[in-house]
Amino acid sequence: MSRIPTCREVERDLVAVAAGEAGATAAQGVERHVAICRECRDELQRYRVLEGMVSDLRRAPMPEADPALARAELESKLADIRSRLVTYGIFPSPLGRILIARSELGVSMVRYVSSDASARARLAQLGGDEVMEDEAAVEPVYRELLDYLHARGTRLNWALDLRWATSDFQKRVLAATAELPYGAVASYGGIAKRVGAPESVRAVAQALRHNPLPIVIPCHRVIGGTGDLTGYAGTRIGLKEQLLSLEGVPVSSGARRIDRRHMYVWVAPYTEYCVPTCGSIPEMPLSELTLFGSRGHAEAVGLSPCSSCRPDLHPVSA
Amino acid sequence: MVRDMTGDPFETIVAAHHAEIHRYLVRATSRPGDADDLSQETFVRAYKAYKALPPDANVRAWLFTIATNLSRNHFRAEGRRRQAMAMAAVGATEQGPSWPEGEAIANQASARIDRLVAALPFKQRVAFTMRKVHELDYDAIGQSLECSAESARAHVFQALRKIRQGLDDLDVVHTER
Repeated sequence: MSRIPTCREVERDLVAVAAGEAGATAAQGVERHVAICRECRDELQRYRVLEGMVSDLRRAPMPEADPALARAELESKLADIRSRLVTYGIFPSPLGRILIARSELGVSMVRYVSSDASARARLAQLGGDEVMEDEAAVEPVYRELLDYLHARGTRLNWALDLRWATSDFQKRVLAATAELPYGAVASYGGIAKRVGAPESVRAVAQALRHNPLPIVIPCHRVIGGTGDLTGYAGTRIGLKEQLLSLEGVPVSSGARRIDRRHMYVWVAPYTEYCVPTCGSIPEMPLSELTLFGSRGHAEAVGLSPCSSCRPDLHPVSA
Repeated sequence: MVRDMTGDPFETIVAAHHAEIHRYLVRATSRPGDADDLSQETFVRAYKAYKALPPDANVRAWLFTIATNLSRNHFRAEGRRRQAMAMAAVGATEQGPSWPEGEAIANQASARIDRLVAALPFKQRVAFTMRKVHELDYDAIGQSLECSAESARAHVFQALRKIRQGLDDLDVVHTER
């Protein structure tokens, strides 16, 4: 039989035995030691008493420590965070990687992403908001966007949260742009007129350049006064062409412009659409017109064929 | 179509663990007022991070880790003041017997132990509390304290030793022989 451990050797095991945590060997060592050492036997007894007292701590009330108030304050803090919370995900798409962010109120950002890391960093810099990556929370929105980009849907019926619009003017521009139907284009000048600021064509272009919700708010449907696609999301003019082609808007790809001579025309506030040669339309500036790539898309928004030029009988050539 | 956030699963986590974490923080910080603040902060941090948790994560142990980290930082900031107060509290217990004999004074005994716990160094204090009050295993305690399970066990051992000595110092122990 091995030698009996010393007081010093047995000290830790003594505590473990009192706590019921000792292994068989340790327990045996303690048992053999206390059989011959009265001091350690007493010590073990004290630790047992202490364990009993300590276990009372689990049940003892803590009268000064009422968690109810802290819990109530926590709930209101969480509610506040939720109202400011923006969750986002970064996903692959036919247009490259896209960041989608949403809040309680609605979708607040769609962004073309060249690097996930820099997109995250940028998002984190947006002051005043709690930003959290959560792909699952954004996934349903992403699915709809994918359907849209694969031409399985023509509308993104999302609640929008314009928290990242920078001014009232931009909000008005975004609202007017959101009105542009699927498969249609208008000019920056046309949007300027619609927001009651016909001189502010450049400001409109700037406002759309910083559109926090491209695709959903279809700034790709806004073109230059001569029919040029001009810019899109920085240097991504190719995406603008892709989105317009998806909607059946013919873009002469070499020149990246839209030829109004091949488009159906709607002049607000009339309820009919025309061929581009109807009446005085050829002389009208693009800012007066909304152009449709197909009759179907014009009729989808409730317009009927003009009774004099009869686009239904004389379709424009592509 | 935008997802409703009111049925937030995090509510379940708050309901299940807030009271316990609060109780833990009362001991970890030695001040109920601080526990109010730190328990809120624990859950706010948890809220921002819980979706990144693996599905099989031990949420309770994870909350203890957050609470421990917060109280460690808090303790660093408030260290001196707290220590002075804890010492004063221990001094104030010097009247009356320290080793109670009956159930009737169990709460008094708990209060006495709590004061001795409050005087322990941080790691021993929280390791003791997590193990003996909240019955976490040594792995979880080690995770909270960024140390091994063995070191966690050693912290608890040192805490018990000091508490035992503390009770001795207040009143010489006479156990039945």
